Amino acid sequence: MYGEKGFALIKELSRCKETLPPYNTDLVNAVSNEIKQLLEQIKDAQSTSDNESALVTAGSKISTITIAHAGIKRNLRCLLSYHYNRIKCLRTMRWEFGSILPADIKVNLSAEEIEWFSKYSQMLASYMRSIGDEGVNLAIDMKPPKALYIEVRCLVDYGRFELTDGSVLLLKKDSRHYLPRSECEELIRQGVFQHIV
Amino acid sequence: MALHPSYAPNFYSIEDILATQERIPCKFLGNVPDMGHLNPSTLEKDLAAGTVLELPVWLVQELSLGRHSIVATELPKIYKESYREILKADACAVDLHKFNLYFYELGKHIKHFDRKGDVHDILLHTFKTRFRQIMDLADHSVSDPTVQERLETLEARLFSDAYDARTKLNAWLVESGAILEAANMVVNHKKRKRMNLDIIM
Amino acid sequence: MNPDEAEFLGEKQFISIIPTFNSGVVHLISGDVGPFRASLPTRVPLWMAINLKQQQKCKIQHPEWMNVDQLERIKEDEKKDKFFTKMPSEQYMIEAKLLLGCASDDVPKADDIRTIIKDIWDIRMAKLRSSVNNVLKSADSYAEFKNLTVMEINSIRPILPHALDQIYRMKINKHQGAQSTTLSTPFRTSTSFSNLS
Repeated sequence: MYGEKGFALIKELSRCKETLPPYNTDLVNAVSNEIKQLLEQIKDAQSTSDNESALVTAGSKISTITIAHAGIKRNLRCLLSYHYNRIKCLRTMRWEFGSILPADIKVNLSAEEIEWFSKYSQMLASYMRSIGDEGVNLAIDMKPPKALYIEVRCLVDYGRFELTDGSVLLLKKDSRHYLPRSECEELIRQGVFQHIV
Repeated sequence: MALHPSYAPNFYSIEDILATQERIPCKFLGNVPDMGHLNPSTLEKDLAAGTVLELPVWLVQELSLGRHSIVATELPKIYKESYREILKADACAVDLHKFNLYFYELGKHIKHFDRKGDVHDILLHTFKTRFRQIMDLADHSVSDPTVQERLETLEARLFSDAYDARTKLNAWLVESGAILEAANMVVNHKKRKRMNLDIIM
Repeated sequence: MNPDEAEFLGEKQFISIIPTFNSGVVHLISGDVGPFRASLPTRVPLWMAINLKQQQKCKIQHPEWMNVDQLERIKEDEKKDKFFTKMPSEQYMIEAKLLLGCASDDVPKADDIRTIIKDIWDIRMAKLRSSVNNVLKSADSYAEFKNLTVMEINSIRPILPHALDQIYRMKINKHQGAQSTTLSTPFRTSTSFSNLS
């Protein structure tokens, strides 16, 4: 049956919750080839029905074309949905992981997706800089703030961390810090700090 | 994939693509030249009139459009009378997950081929009857844990949305102050890494 | 909407405090607050009251409705009445939670009040759940809920609209002929209520 490969692409995406499966170049090419092949089939059907004088056979060629056409539409839908939904996931990742993706996620992306991600990050950064006089970081205050300073515990050996006032902290695993909320919110989201209440 | 696959009509909807892959029994009304390969049980070049095949919904929709219908469709068995009777008797006791993963979505496509409107009625009846169960499940007030496994895709999503909201509200009632947390994807990414490590070691 | 966000909105509510310090008017985007004179009552937003209280810079004057007699009466009404009774404050749950949390020494019989409010909340939530179920069962084209407060409405946010949406989708185009529903109707993206609400 036509459209099986396109369906396999979508099935692959749907199985992965919260992550991206490796970009499936082979399957994407296979779907594109099926589309080309179906196009040829439509052209053939058209040319033969032009030659044949009997209207009866010409009529039934319409069924052939309808089926092939439906196959093309289905394959296109699968291809577009595959790419669209991957990009949508990638966009969420920019907000969850920040502008640098973990290496094991990056290997699953196609070259075009990597390029898209870095362009999206750049655009987002320049948009944030353009708001107001000094720019606004839209990635903080994801929850309504309760206090200016919060206490955090460091979950990993992170190393040097420079605050906006220029002072430098050495972040070691299990060290505790009392910091401005705005400085550590992103590190909390990235799983470096744990917020202690 | 961290996303909410939205339902049809949405061209990009993963869920709808999955649902429209389900198959319906169809009978071809005329010969179709050069399409013999669609029927695995014949080597003929053309597809003969009268051939009965199970075709995916996306194809059937195109073939039964308007006046030039190429195929005659039949209801899949889960929407036929015997199954409808089971649902009418006690929809809550049914393992809808086993009926079909996309019982409602598929049903919404199927009902166009059902002139009498029985499918339409049974969809509504089933959904309304089972709703209370989903809501109670989300409020942790159902003691039978297997109920969750009997939910269909749409119901499962309704449940998880409601469950998330309920959990957040309960947390708010006891917790003081909004705690900042690591992003969802980050947490899951770490979990997966740990799992992979466990497998290696 | 997250409960945290609902709480944030509720914190705009004004409340009387008796400051223990002197200070001039504070100009805020939402309006001016103050001036503050020690032991002279003044009205400030709830979030500021909580903040000052935590720094022990004021006593909070609890809202008038926050007394055992009135709440007992409301509780009785709520039990008797099939419908929702009108609550003395749109944000009763938020105010109760915040005030009883950090300023219980300013509220007489705080423990009793906490219990009664919890009872009222539980009665109303049970009522809400059975109402939602009834609305869905009868599934008329509209239903009316009166006297619900912000946090209560928020508690049924994803499930009720989502379920009604599904019913609508099942009912619609009952009489339409066989049509390709995926392509002939305009796009409606995302039903993710958890993001919208």
